[in-house]
Amino acid sequence: MLRLLATIRKEWLLLLRDRTGLTLLFAMPVILITVMAMIEDAPFRDYQELRFDILTVDNDHGRLGKYIREGLEYSEQFRVIDSMKGQPIMEQQARNLVNEGEYKICIIIPSGATGAIVSNANKIVNDILKRMSMPGVLPVSSRKDSLNVTIYFDPASKKAFKSAIHQALDNFLTQVETDLLLERIKQQLKRKDVPEGDSMVIQLKAVGLKEQLTGPSQEIDVISNSVQHNVPAWSIFAMFFIVIPIAGNMIREREDGSLLRMKLIPGSYLAVLTGKMLFFVAVCVVQFYLMMQVGIYLLPLLGLPKLVLGQSLLAAFIVAVGIGLASTSYGILVGTVFKTPNQALNFGAISIVILSAIGGIWIPLEIMPSHMQFIGHLSPLSWGLDAINDIYLRNVGVGHIWGHVGKLVLFAVTLLCIAAVIEKRRLS
Amino acid sequence: MTSILVQDLHKTYKGALEPSLKGLSFSFPKGSIVGLLGPNGAGKTTTISILCGLIKADAGQVQIFDLPQNAVNREAIKGLIGIVPQQIALFPHLTAVENLEYFGNLYGLKGKPLRSRIDEYLQVFGLEKNAHKQVHHFSGGMKRRTNIIAAILHQPQLLVLDEPTAGVDVQSRSMILQFLRDYNRQGVSIVYTSHLLDEAQTICQEVTIIDEGTAVVQGETNELIARHPECRNLEDVFLQYTGHALRD
Repeated sequence: MLRLLATIRKEWLLLLRDRTGLTLLFAMPVILITVMAMIEDAPFRDYQELRFDILTVDNDHGRLGKYIREGLEYSEQFRVIDSMKGQPIMEQQARNLVNEGEYKICIIIPSGATGAIVSNANKIVNDILKRMSMPGVLPVSSRKDSLNVTIYFDPASKKAFKSAIHQALDNFLTQVETDLLLERIKQQLKRKDVPEGDSMVIQLKAVGLKEQLTGPSQEIDVISNSVQHNVPAWSIFAMFFIVIPIAGNMIREREDGSLLRMKLIPGSYLAVLTGKMLFFVAVCVVQFYLMMQVGIYLLPLLGLPKLVLGQSLLAAFIVAVGIGLASTSYGILVGTVFKTPNQALNFGAISIVILSAIGGIWIPLEIMPSHMQFIGHLSPLSWGLDAINDIYLRNVGVGHIWGHVGKLVLFAVTLLCIAAVIEKRRLS
Repeated sequence: MTSILVQDLHKTYKGALEPSLKGLSFSFPKGSIVGLLGPNGAGKTTTISILCGLIKADAGQVQIFDLPQNAVNREAIKGLIGIVPQQIALFPHLTAVENLEYFGNLYGLKGKPLRSRIDEYLQVFGLEKNAHKQVHHFSGGMKRRTNIIAAILHQPQLLVLDEPTAGVDVQSRSMILQFLRDYNRQGVSIVYTSHLLDEAQTICQEVTIIDEGTAVVQGETNELIARHPECRNLEDVFLQYTGHALRD
């Protein structure tokens, strides 16, 4: 125990005196998380909170244009712009503005669109009445060709964005057509001796949609946003960067002979190594909680959402320790394999960037191709991130995270065994 | 009784073309200062590593104070030996006291006994005024002296020094050599390796010269020089046995 405590004290003193190292360990991740959360805030908001200006050219001036305008405004995702400098926007002008990228979307409602919808509704009602052996009396246009609401997108728009807009506008069109049809049916039925006071309520949506939480608790409704993804993700990335100081520490000790001195002292070197590991795992855990404070207190001050931690603080602590163990062991292996701090620095840094990229730190694994998702799930960073997401977003407790933590611990033990074999071979 | 007994020691590192040790044998009497000398690549470091139990010999026998060096005795033997490596095996950003406290703790020493022992040695080596300075601020001589203290904190019976005066000024060298003589008078056996043969001649009562993994000569220092009338000093004897060819 004395060896272990002495080693922890020694590492503590060394870290305190290495101001650059301290800055790299704690200040850089804070900056990294803040920057990444701010940069990725816009893409995360794209389809959730951002409002887009949508140019609308209404050549119809009828009910359809009104419905679409009201529907777009009501959805709170769009701001309808139908005039500029007091003048209605013309079709060619709107196309040019979208093509130049000043606006993302433009919709052109064709002349006679409402008339076409009304005519179609009338035709359906007349058909129904005819089948009921009643005369159809509603006027129907003789026009045969169908009309289209035209959409122009900024050529740089993403496919997912386009399809979301398509779907929204399609819904509005369906809604208008349905409303007009129902209205016509109600009008025709009212003509047929309906008693006074009967409001003829026709409810089309007998079955609706209702979103429910999947987790065990009903108290938290966390939306995955930039902060909720980036703070845990980049915290794990920063924790893995502990590889650099550990590997450097190991190589320096080997180079300056202090490792040799430690091995010449009776007693197990394992106690010294355990002390070193415990210290760096503690540093990782402190880093983790510091980053969480950034998500809770600092990022909201910058206009970003507040990080929601889930309900099981113990589970988050266990995962943080697991990530710390995995990253520390990786550092020990890198420090054992490589002979110079430069080699370890280059390999360590690049390998962490690769592991983080495939492990879903930069972008969520869910949007990667399936083969990359498979590879990504082999990254220890993805195990840590999955565990944290389970705790923060799915609101699970200690009982649900053992799979991820087990993989992290197994990874750590495997790397330590490999390091031990390499060190033994080096001595012989 | 011998402090070190080495018999027919063989060692070939994995992947090496040539063996490092080829039947090395020598013995050092207990309580003496002996020199283990040899050119670069002679096998000195390998021999010391085997003596300390850091690496295993392929064949042969090693005894430290009559204890065979094996898995059973390895830890006990480590406690009997103090090693002063050629490198400054200290943490540069810790103070002298913090370094010594750490290594003392690893030896199982703690509290007042450790602190008083550290204070005593810092005084003996003239470092008491710099006890709380970080080692990277020390001169080469101060680092060497601290390096020696770290090896004797646990009061070993056998002290092995590898180039203990490399790169130090005359004053520090004189102080270190005087300390070794005094320390030896307390009954501690000392093994000294160096390329500074005038220094070895001054301090070592007995020397063993090894070359290409075998002992080429062993004997009392003065007797060895006297045995070769054409040699004026230990350096001449050394060159006579190891030749003038440059070593890599």
